[in-house]
Amino acid sequence: MKTKGEQQMERRLAEAALLAGRVEGDRLVLGDAVLAAALDGSRPLSPGERAALQASPLTLRRLRRLALERRAQTKPAANDEEWQGSHGMLRAASSAGPAAPVSDDGWWTLHLLGQEGAWRLVLQLSAAAPFAARLLAERAPLRVRDGAGRVILEGRLDADGECEAAWPFGDPPAVHLQEQGAAFTVEPC
Amino acid sequence: MRLPGTRYQEPGWEEVRKLLGQCSLVALRACVPGQDLAAPLEAQLEDYVDLMAGQLHARRHAPRATAAGNSYGESVAELALGLVYELRARPADWQAFCAVASAAWEADALLRKKVNDMYAQLRDKVDADNYQAACGRPCSPNRMYAYRMLDTAYGEIARLFGNWEQHRAQVGAILGRPLDAGFATSPIEVRQLRSIRDCRPEWLLRWSETLERFTGSAGPLHTRSKRFASLKTSPDKIAAMLQEIGEYEALSANRDLDFAQDLDDASLWMEDYWRVLQESEDVMTPGPDRILENREDELDLAADDEAGPAPARSQDPSPDPDPELEAIAAGVSLPPDYLRMAGEAEAGSGWIAHALLDDGLPVRLAVYARLLGPADDSYPDAWRAPGSGELPTMQQLAALARVSLPTLRKRRDAAIRRIEQEALARASRRRQA
Repeated sequence: MKTKGEQQMERRLAEAALLAGRVEGDRLVLGDAVLAAALDGSRPLSPGERAALQASPLTLRRLRRLALERRAQTKPAANDEEWQGSHGMLRAASSAGPAAPVSDDGWWTLHLLGQEGAWRLVLQLSAAAPFAARLLAERAPLRVRDGAGRVILEGRLDADGECEAAWPFGDPPAVHLQEQGAAFTVEPC
Repeated sequence: MRLPGTRYQEPGWEEVRKLLGQCSLVALRACVPGQDLAAPLEAQLEDYVDLMAGQLHARRHAPRATAAGNSYGESVAELALGLVYELRARPADWQAFCAVASAAWEADALLRKKVNDMYAQLRDKVDADNYQAACGRPCSPNRMYAYRMLDTAYGEIARLFGNWEQHRAQVGAILGRPLDAGFATSPIEVRQLRSIRDCRPEWLLRWSETLERFTGSAGPLHTRSKRFASLKTSPDKIAAMLQEIGEYEALSANRDLDFAQDLDDASLWMEDYWRVLQESEDVMTPGPDRILENREDELDLAADDEAGPAPARSQDPSPDPDPELEAIAAGVSLPPDYLRMAGEAEAGSGWIAHALLDDGLPVRLAVYARLLGPADDSYPDAWRAPGSGELPTMQQLAALARVSLPTLRKRRDAAIRRIEQEALARASRRRQA
C-alpha cells in the first residue's frame, strides 16, 4: 500500500517530467473553454484533442494553471463551516480610539473593557459568521493569543456568542497588545 | 514591464544577462563548442549546463547574483539558472548557438555578445510560453519583443514629457502641434500622462517617426527592418498592447505571487489531468475536434504497453556488503555503505518505482536530482551525501554505477522519458487497475 507521501512524490516526479518538456514551435492547441469543460467533466476531450494535449507541453501547462485555479476556488467554499482560527491586527497607536479590534475575516471582535487594575477582555463572535451556529451549539472552547503568541484569554463561548475573562497582565491591554506585535489570533482549543 | 506569467522582462534582466555572460565565458572556455568534433552536441550541452550550474553556484553570494531579478522575489541567480535549464530542454537553440559560435576561437567580447544574443532570444521564448500558460492567449517571442519595445518607448515618452520645457521641439513633434517658447504652462497631455494606459498610439508613432531628427537614430517603428511593419500601420493594435501592459501592471502592483504556493500540494492537479485523460477514453466525445487553428492533428495516441503487477524488487540494492563497491564509494567521498543505506530508505511500490526498477539506484537518484533538484525536502537522509546534505553529484553517481558520466546521463534521460510516457498514458493504466 502506498503512503500519502509516496503518492505525492510520484505525482511530483511525473509532474516534473511532463512540465520540463519543450517542443520546438509548441503552441496552445486547445482553448480554455475546451480545457475547462474537460476539467469539470461536462465535455470530455475527443481522442484527437487528447492526443493534441499529450503532444503539447505548453497546453499541458495551461491545463495545470486552470486545474490549480479551479482547486484554489473550490477549496474555501467547501470549508465554509470549517473554522481553523482567525487573525487580526490592531490599528496604529496614533489612531487609537474607541474602536475595538476586529479580526481580518470580520467574525471576531475583541472588546477591551474596565479600567486601571481591573481590565476585562470580551471576545465576541459575529452571528453572521458561517461557522457561528456550530460554535454556539458546541459552546466551543476558544483561546486568544497576542502577537507574541502568549495566551491572553481562554474560555468557552456563552449563549450570546461571547467569552469574557479578566486581563491576565499588569499593563493595560491596549499598551500590551501594541507592544506585542499589534496583532491577535483567535483559535479553537 | 510585467505581463501575466513573465519573469524576465523587468530591469533586473540586465544583471541576469551579465551574470550569464560572465559564467558562460568560463564554462565555454572549459568546453568550447565545436572543439571536440567527436562529441555530440547534446553531450556538449550537458557539459555546458553542468559547468554553468557550478559557476552560478560558486557566485551565488555575489552582490550581482543576490540582487532582485524581478518584482516577484526571484533573484538574479535564480532567474539565470532557470534560463540555463530552459536551454537544456531546447537543444535546437544550443545547436543554433554552436553554429555561429564554433566558427572561430572567439575573442571574449565577441563570444559574450553571441551568448547575449542566445539568451536574449531564449528569454522571450520562455516568457512567451509563460504568458500563454498564465492567461491562455497566444503569444510569440516576437510579440513579447514588441510589448517590450512599446513599454520602452512609453518610458522614453514619459521622460520627455517630464522635461517638456527642455524638449519643447520633440514633445511638440510627439503631440503633433508646436510648443513654441511662448507656451508657458505645461500641455494638458503632459499632465494627464500618469501611466502607460494614458499613452496614445499616435504619440508613439510620431515619437518613432521623428526620433531620427532629434537623436540621429531611427525610431524602432521606422527602421528598415520589417519587424514592426504590422504595428506601424495599426494604431489600434498598439493601443491594445499598451492597455494590456498598463492593466496588468496595475493588477500586479501588489505582487502576484505564484498562487499555487497557497495550495498544500500543488502536484494534486496531476490527479485532475489523469482524470481528464480517463474520462476522455471512457466517453467517446464525437468530433469535430475543437483544436485551435484547426491544424490537422497527426498525432497518435502513445501506445499503451501491457503492465503487469510490480515484481518484487530486484537484487538491487545488494543485501551483502560488496567490498569493491565500498571502496568505490569511499573513493568518491561517500560512506562505504551509502548505496545499501540509500536503497533501504527507498520507497518501492509505486508505478514510478516500477518504471525505474531495472535502472539501478544511482540512475534513479540521478533522475530524482534532475526532476526535483539535488536537495528536495522529501529525500530521506540516507540519500544525502555527508557534507553537502544533497544527493551525490553526477560524477559520484557515475562512479557508484561503474559507468562513465555520459553513459549515466544517457540512462538517466532514458528513464525520464519512460516516466514521461507513463505519466502521459496513466489513464489507461488506472482503468485496468
